[in-house]
Amino acid sequence: MEIPYTVTARKDTGLFNAKVGIWLFLASEVMLFGGLFSGYVFLRIYADYPWPERALPVLPGLINTFVLIGSSVTVVFAWAALKMRQWRRFQFFMAITIACAGIFMVLKGLEYNAKWNHQAVRMDDFTIVEGHTHKAVIDEDGHFHEVHEGDDPHGTPFKANAVIFKAERVSFSLVRAHESWIDSMLSQAEERHSKLVAQKQKGTTGIFLYGALVDFEADADKRKAAEEDIVKEYQTAEKIARKIGEKSLYIPDGTPLSYALLKKAREIFIAGRAHNAEIRTGILRTKWKDAHANHPDKGNWEIADEAKITPEDTAGQIVKVLSTLAFEMDPPVPLVLNRSWIKRPIPAKAEQAELRDDTTLAGALQDSPLALAVDAVDFRWMAQKAVEADKDPMKVIESSWIFSDKNEHAAEYKKLWKMHKKRIEKLEEHLVEKYKRDKLGNPKRVSTETERYRMGWKDLLQYAKAEEEGVFPGEEKFDDLRPSMTDGFTGPDHKNADVKRLHAFPELKVPHEKVAMASAFTPKWNTYYAIYFTLTGLHGLHVIGGALVLGYYLLFSKGLYRQNPEWLANRVEVGGLFWHFVDLVWIFLFPILYLM
Amino acid sequence: MSAEAAADHGDHDHHDEHHHELPFYKKYIWSTDHKVIGIQYGITALLFLALGFYLMMVMRWSIAYPEEPLPSWMSWVFSDEWKARWLQDGRVTGDTYNMFGAMHGTIMVFLGIVPLGFAAFGNFVTPLQIGAVDMAFPRLNMISYWCYLVGGLIMVGSFFMESGAAKSGWTNYSPLANFADGQIVNQFLAGQTQWLLGMVFLISSSLLGAVNFLTTIINLRAKGLTWMRLPFFVWAMLVTGFLLLLAFPPLEVAALMQLMDRTVGSSFFLPSGLYTSGAGIIEASGGGSPLLYQHLFWFLGHPEVYVLLLPAIACVAEVIPVNTRKPLWGYKPMVWSILILGFLSFVVWAHHMYLTGMGPVVSTWFQTTTVLISVPSVILLTSMVVSLWGGSIRFNVPMLWALAFLPMFGIGGLTGLPLAFNLVDLHLHDTYYVIGHFHYVVAPGVLFGLFAGVYHWYPKVTGRHLDTFLGHLHFWPSLIFMNMLFFPMLVQGMAGFHRRWYNGGDAYLSKAEDSVNVFGNTVAEWIYLNPVMSWGAWLLALSQIPFVINFIASIWVGKKIKNDNPYDATTLEWATPTPPPHGNFTFDIAVFRGPYEYSRDDHEGDFFPQWEEPKRDKPAEVPVEEPTR
Repeated sequence: MEIPYTVTARKDTGLFNAKVGIWLFLASEVMLFGGLFSGYVFLRIYADYPWPERALPVLPGLINTFVLIGSSVTVVFAWAALKMRQWRRFQFFMAITIACAGIFMVLKGLEYNAKWNHQAVRMDDFTIVEGHTHKAVIDEDGHFHEVHEGDDPHGTPFKANAVIFKAERVSFSLVRAHESWIDSMLSQAEERHSKLVAQKQKGTTGIFLYGALVDFEADADKRKAAEEDIVKEYQTAEKIARKIGEKSLYIPDGTPLSYALLKKAREIFIAGRAHNAEIRTGILRTKWKDAHANHPDKGNWEIADEAKITPEDTAGQIVKVLSTLAFEMDPPVPLVLNRSWIKRPIPAKAEQAELRDDTTLAGALQDSPLALAVDAVDFRWMAQKAVEADKDPMKVIESSWIFSDKNEHAAEYKKLWKMHKKRIEKLEEHLVEKYKRDKLGNPKRVSTETERYRMGWKDLLQYAKAEEEGVFPGEEKFDDLRPSMTDGFTGPDHKNADVKRLHAFPELKVPHEKVAMASAFTPKWNTYYAIYFTLTGLHGLHVIGGALVLGYYLLFSKGLYRQNPEWLANRVEVGGLFWHFVDLVWIFLFPILYLM
Repeated sequence: MSAEAAADHGDHDHHDEHHHELPFYKKYIWSTDHKVIGIQYGITALLFLALGFYLMMVMRWSIAYPEEPLPSWMSWVFSDEWKARWLQDGRVTGDTYNMFGAMHGTIMVFLGIVPLGFAAFGNFVTPLQIGAVDMAFPRLNMISYWCYLVGGLIMVGSFFMESGAAKSGWTNYSPLANFADGQIVNQFLAGQTQWLLGMVFLISSSLLGAVNFLTTIINLRAKGLTWMRLPFFVWAMLVTGFLLLLAFPPLEVAALMQLMDRTVGSSFFLPSGLYTSGAGIIEASGGGSPLLYQHLFWFLGHPEVYVLLLPAIACVAEVIPVNTRKPLWGYKPMVWSILILGFLSFVVWAHHMYLTGMGPVVSTWFQTTTVLISVPSVILLTSMVVSLWGGSIRFNVPMLWALAFLPMFGIGGLTGLPLAFNLVDLHLHDTYYVIGHFHYVVAPGVLFGLFAGVYHWYPKVTGRHLDTFLGHLHFWPSLIFMNMLFFPMLVQGMAGFHRRWYNGGDAYLSKAEDSVNVFGNTVAEWIYLNPVMSWGAWLLALSQIPFVINFIASIWVGKKIKNDNPYDATTLEWATPTPPPHGNFTFDIAVFRGPYEYSRDDHEGDFFPQWEEPKRDKPAEVPVEEPTR
């Protein structure tokens, strides 16, 4: 059996099958990227924060545009070579095409990498700072210390973007406790010579896993009743224990925490719960049967009160189940908790922290600043909020935390801001001079919000150099000090010699409670980066997929070429059409993400 | 990747030529034969339909008998541990109800009806009806099936995860769906995320399938099979293919964005300053839009309705001419209608979103297009009804289903008209009226049409007829109990019953017994219908048992067909041996006329097959040969 029109075209449609297929497939691809582009438009129109216009370094994107266009041309040459039955020529051009795909992906990778390692912080007053997070350690007294290059830290350094919590007691949810977090806590405790042990209960010698904790200090009658209860429960529990093949249900005091222990406890919890459910369901069914028999005409909502389980119904048949296990930290030491583990924001001086796996820590929040070398300060959002509240943005900005005495580095920022304001003043003067004023006397052109309210890394470096050389805005030399387009190929360049020498990127320690949102430049930071990564990521996957297919033609198709060169040419044509599409998508992506 | 697809099909086919006896696993499991793949799709889809039906029965129990433990005949499927987790003392909880509700919708739509209608029937019948040896890309066809199965298994697998399956409705609206299962640390192990991953597989499967169907129909039609000679079934598949091809990608976008939101913390669908009781102020950037999700979802969602519907209409449109011995009335208008319908289905989506407050201008536009789209639908239905006029109808089982389809789909369609209007929809939105409306379209509508197809083509697939008595035993109770199940929904909906009441209005009633709404009905008046409908559901389940028995047993004990064309039909699938071998046709197929040439005055017998050569005016020197079978 042979499928017709795989090599030759059908007369009335003029197409071979794969070509029909690829055009249809590309139609669906248009809808796919169309959906994402619509998403971009929708998000940008409805954005309630300053959309990061022209936020990306243009050069890598520009180079990539030409690389892809070039590869689209060479893929056509490769196809034409096949049509002319020139194998070596085909190999040559196809290899160039795939090399272009490689260059594209490498540049993309560099861009991604720079963003993933670039921290952004939004403070609760909408000041935004960007920069590189420092490493830090907790010393033996439990104090926070930044680690700088060349330091010899005591202890394991962590990224200074964590929550430091001195825990006295930690309780774990049996069903959810997350293994790797427990491991991290255990190793941290060990490093600080502390351990997590099963929590002592008043008057008991350990935890009986079905929760039958007897208070031995109570009076004799109660105690006797309780003992009877515990015997009964123990018997039921034994039965269940036998069912799941688990004998030890008893955790003595001082048993150290381990994930294996929690896992065992979880099994027992689940089995106990299943046992209880079975018993209770049976009882409830009987109750409902009786209720229906007593009131044959009534709906469930009218008789629901009659069919309720009371504690007497279940006495002696069910077991108490523990769903959490608590451990004591002996002695209490600070634990470094990753910011992403936290379930809900922890206020200053909090005595409790909740993790996403329902682990709760009781103790005290320690000083947990986010320490970074700042390469940009952005007041655009703050200005927007000020305007919305009918306030003067400049006043709001200048009374913000970063310029206040509470910030130990405030002086540096004040100096930079002064220089910045001077520069904007000169810029506005220049704009009036150049573009004049309209009939009402207003300048025809003013500075943009980005110019006014944002000090980017190039600004910071320029100001530092100007400071050094004693040059000021308005002087001719000032403009020459600005880094050029080729500086910082993928973004702020912290290794730049001038930056290092002049300490052009000031330090900042943002206190824990000031941090409203902290994120690297990932999809999490804002919807612009979300759509940027989604669009370019999906496009990148298309590039990789296309390159794999074209690579297959290049490397494994000599046999087909000898047998049926026209067929191979068809395949390359179809692959080439796909490649053109991928190129076309980028031609739309580049302006909307990099230039607009 | 389609480039790969293009590369794929070639050498494989060469192989097949030399190995007619394929090993079992190649013939039935890793098969590239469109018929086997069609059957695989069909059986898998029927199993998923049964699962979806079961989920619905559990929900209906909770609605009819709230607070009462699930009876053991329903709960025995679960393990004790599962029951302890999801049934509180044996009762269906709100969470469980939500989970079953979301998965009932998802399974029925994406894993049941679309694969049964489009993929199973489309795969088996389309290449036969256009006289092709197979699909244009057989290996791609196989990949489509396996993608579908993987997607389905991911969805079903999520029931057994710690988080349970998705619980945010089959529409998976954000921001609700963004936070659901937020307590699961590894988001890839959360039911809500699994739903998205499953969807990505299902969508990929549909896209590959659509490309394949369209290419096959465009490029592999037999000699002489011009566009207007195509059976209506093929037209319907063509339009369905285009709908899938162009409507699914935006949903894939939505699924990808939601996946990003869930796994890497982006805020595509999260507005600024969102607060939840579980986690306080969400540490997310915000700035996104829940409305964006709804637009992307319903851009698929509405065409999807026609993806469900058209294959059923296609089956009915094939069954009717055969069993009335008359051409399909208004074939050409029907073809144009279905094309226009396909186009219009892309511009009506926001009528699902009147409640979001899009503004009067946008609403007016979508009201207008929605009312417009009823015109081609009515043309289709009317043409099929008129086709019955003056026919000598054979009341066999497929025809019964087809005949029942017409009024049932009619009810479904007509109850949709009021919903097209913004004002009425504001009242009826999310009530049982809406549930009743679209279930009339997809359950007694689409499913009846597909059952007609099953009974109609079963002899071509197996060489044996399904049993008529069991067929009647399947049909009549199904007809009655479907209506017993769905008609009360329309009444309840107008009285204001909300679709998400997991206890069927009980909790609401115990607080406000005397609620009166604009139609003058009260919830208290109609709550007694809850058990009635639920009994309709149980009995409907019972009425499917004859079908299951019939479907399995007839493979071996059914009445053998008298010849390859047991119905004296005219379309090309009846020109093949039974069951059709790999490669389908045993002679060089050529088409001489339109698809429904029944009872022609100028031709002996009451049918004139498409493949039969015309007799010449003067007696031929060589006798005209009958096609060999």
